[in-house]
Amino acid sequence: MKGGLRAVNAAAAVIVSAAVLYAAFFGAGPLPALGPAFNPVTGAWTMANDAAIGSETLHLFGLNQAVKVSLERDGTAHVVAQTDHDLFLAVGYMHARFRLFQMDLLRRQGEGRLSEVVGKAALDIDRFELQLGLLRTAQQEWNALAPDDVARQALLAYAQGVNDRIAHAEADHQLPVMFTLLGYQPKAWTPIDSLIVKGDMTQTLNFTDTPLVMALLEKSLGADLVSKWFPVLPPNPQSPYDPGPYPGQATVTPIGPVAQVTDAEAVAAGDAYQRLVSLPPGLLATGGNSNNWAVAGARSASGGALMAGDPHLHLTLPAIWFQLSMDSPAYQVSGVSIPGTPVVLIGHNRHISWSLTDAQNQQTFFYLEQEDSAHPGQYFWRGAWQRYQTVGYDIPVLGGATQHLTLKLSVHGPVITERGQTTTVWWAGNIPSQDLGVLLGIDRASSYQEFRDALRGWYSPTHNFVYADDRGDIGLISAGYYPQVAAARPWLPMPGTGEDDVTGTIPYDDIPQVYNPPEGIIWSANQRQVTDDYPWYIGTSSFFNPGYRANEIHRVLSQGGKLSAADMMALQTDTRDFLASEMVPILLAALPSSPARDLLASWDYRMDTNSAAATIWWAFWQAYLDETFGPDWKSHHVTLDRSEVSNALGQDLETWTLHDQHNPALQIAFKTTVTNLSKQLGPDPNTWTWGRVHTRVLENLAQISGLDYGPRADRGDANTPLAAPDFPSSHGPSWRMVVDWGSGTFSGIYPGGQSENPASHWYENRVDAWWDGRYAPMLSAEQAASAPGTVTWSLDP
Amino acid sequence: MRWIGAVVVFPILATVGVMLGAWWAPFPLGLAFGAVQPGARFAVPVGALIGSVGWSIPLSASESRFGLGPAAESLAAIMGFGHMAFVPVILTLLAGTLLGLLGAWLGCAGRTLVQPASSRTRASVSADGGTPSSR
Repeated sequence: MKGGLRAVNAAAAVIVSAAVLYAAFFGAGPLPALGPAFNPVTGAWTMANDAAIGSETLHLFGLNQAVKVSLERDGTAHVVAQTDHDLFLAVGYMHARFRLFQMDLLRRQGEGRLSEVVGKAALDIDRFELQLGLLRTAQQEWNALAPDDVARQALLAYAQGVNDRIAHAEADHQLPVMFTLLGYQPKAWTPIDSLIVKGDMTQTLNFTDTPLVMALLEKSLGADLVSKWFPVLPPNPQSPYDPGPYPGQATVTPIGPVAQVTDAEAVAAGDAYQRLVSLPPGLLATGGNSNNWAVAGARSASGGALMAGDPHLHLTLPAIWFQLSMDSPAYQVSGVSIPGTPVVLIGHNRHISWSLTDAQNQQTFFYLEQEDSAHPGQYFWRGAWQRYQTVGYDIPVLGGATQHLTLKLSVHGPVITERGQTTTVWWAGNIPSQDLGVLLGIDRASSYQEFRDALRGWYSPTHNFVYADDRGDIGLISAGYYPQVAAARPWLPMPGTGEDDVTGTIPYDDIPQVYNPPEGIIWSANQRQVTDDYPWYIGTSSFFNPGYRANEIHRVLSQGGKLSAADMMALQTDTRDFLASEMVPILLAALPSSPARDLLASWDYRMDTNSAAATIWWAFWQAYLDETFGPDWKSHHVTLDRSEVSNALGQDLETWTLHDQHNPALQIAFKTTVTNLSKQLGPDPNTWTWGRVHTRVLENLAQISGLDYGPRADRGDANTPLAAPDFPSSHGPSWRMVVDWGSGTFSGIYPGGQSENPASHWYENRVDAWWDGRYAPMLSAEQAASAPGTVTWSLDP
Repeated sequence: MRWIGAVVVFPILATVGVMLGAWWAPFPLGLAFGAVQPGARFAVPVGALIGSVGWSIPLSASESRFGLGPAAESLAAIMGFGHMAFVPVILTLLAGTLLGLLGAWLGCAGRTLVQPASSRTRASVSADGGTPSSR
């Protein structure tokens, strides 16, 4: 080889080697550092090792005494500890052992640190979260805990357990694969991180944009139409669980004509609305879909109280839930927990059981701050100019420069937009509260009185807590903060000058609640809990679910005869659409015979995958809404997507149709339906089965579509007890639990698996059973220890 | 015989290095082999062998202990290759192979700059008894 060629050869070798080594050590573009990532010993392949679960003995720093953990064949964990401290430490270890990346994502989301690991794509999310203030609230909550507070002790021990697992995983090269692929190490867990995770859930369930939506609608549709279409009280027949009597006199009045939303207010509302709706699913409450109910011992076949609960959430893999039982001197509790928090959120102990649905009352208020160019950096409040408080944050960005965020806060809360008119947001989730202590109190409670006393301190998100116990008693209480505002229109952004501030909450004894009602049944499904006579403002009809699931549940439970646990399970997977049962008979009366009509005539109103009538019904209802509201939407140039308010408009249309059963729009909409379905699915109506258009998907939490489950044809719709809104549906029953205190049986199932490791058998091993409506027995620790296939871990000091 | 011994020893060293967590071990070993072995046509394939053996033996050990099927499927899904579980396996082995190969190439190239071909041939002949490493 000549000298020149040798030099070229050497240069090429140097350049190619340098490039490959750089990519191997540091990654390139979206690629992770290839060497550490694919290293067969310590890289992503270790997920195979992680997936292999066997009996083992582990040494945990901070434990006082040995802890025994039994892992059932399906992954359910049973932790038995000699002290409460050791119990929480071990639970922290178990959560981190199976869900560390999920926990890290949850805390990063709330702390505004996602950009640090995924880059600038998450910058808007981080900015928003830091503005909203979960981190500030969690810090205040932590600082307010007394040194001997039970919750403080639990949080500290839990954090120690998580950090023990992080240390083990780092030493054994067993960090979850996503850490390896993203190329970062988890930082130490702190108690504030746990409070952040709780804040994430509060945000998901109770931070809403409804007042902004109403402002935009009022600007375009006008006050008269908004008053008519979006009333304070629901226009349609509903099934409130607390029928009264109530203290005091009714003060709730329908929305009257009010001053138009100004241009500046509309600009502000539009800007803030766009910011919020562009956030990923789960950061904004978009309407709940959860069920729970209880049956008194006198109405049950077993003679003991029955209870059922299925909270509906964004369905992800891994799931939001981790199933376990916790046993120590003070706690004997079993159910589901949220990784990152040391409590059972839904479950039972030896005497009581509980579940929850979102109460949906208005907990988010927007304020229009009065400003003046003569007073820069200030706002007018209670007769004086006040200076905004400012807070600064640095947001590290992967592959980019650290971004600095300075935000302003008024007395109402953070500034969310300065376009048009400066707008701040007051959110109940930002009130420092000790909700974790409340949950620990529930875990320890042994009677309704103790349960109710514990809930007295619950703030947000407001939940309908259903209760049943081993004495046959049942109860339901919608615990939480109910902001009261001295304003004419709290459902719109309000003046921030002080007259419309939140003045307090409804007294605890006056919030919606029932205990051992005479009919022996109680139920909630995100409907308005009280009748029109209730004297306190809790939100307009737009905040609550239209009530079809609640009506259906009430209908089934009200039928005569004794009820069993099997009946509870059947109701949880019920696909009967209550709205269809009201509307279809009216529609049939208005239509001449046709193949499509005949399918509806023989339909049982169940949204099953093989039902063509289900498809016809659903398409008809959308066409009927279009036919009724479309012209006004167009003539008023409403830019808001009508689907944003389809629940509220649906209630109006339902009510009008019940009162006027000869509406010509019925026939027009049906004709449109048949035409559209023929084009979409072919000419034969018998083939228009629901499963062809309606699917469900369980989405991977890291948004890796290859790790999703589905999409797969599935039953149900937004109105059925087995809720499956949207196309494809990724929202629904995140956990189903049925309790029969008479027979002492507890059953539960959630879609997913205990492990976040996609190579693990426990990644999605429960999905098929959940899909089919099957349940698994919730074993005690003693039962689990002797069950076939159980693996035992000894956690030693 | 010396080179045959080296062909056995270097991959073993690479395997030990990778097993100890030094995933990059094939590169310096390939580099060393390329630097002392006068002939790219022999050294570079051996470098590739060093890398592929160094990474495939630990991977095979994991396969026999835990089974890599679900992990391979998961990695394929994460990488956007659907259910093509063989892709991450191939890419992994390719990465190891590339490390050894590039090391050997760089070693050879460096040596040719420092030592002209004729002297390398003589040195090789005198040391090895006539291994046809340079033509």
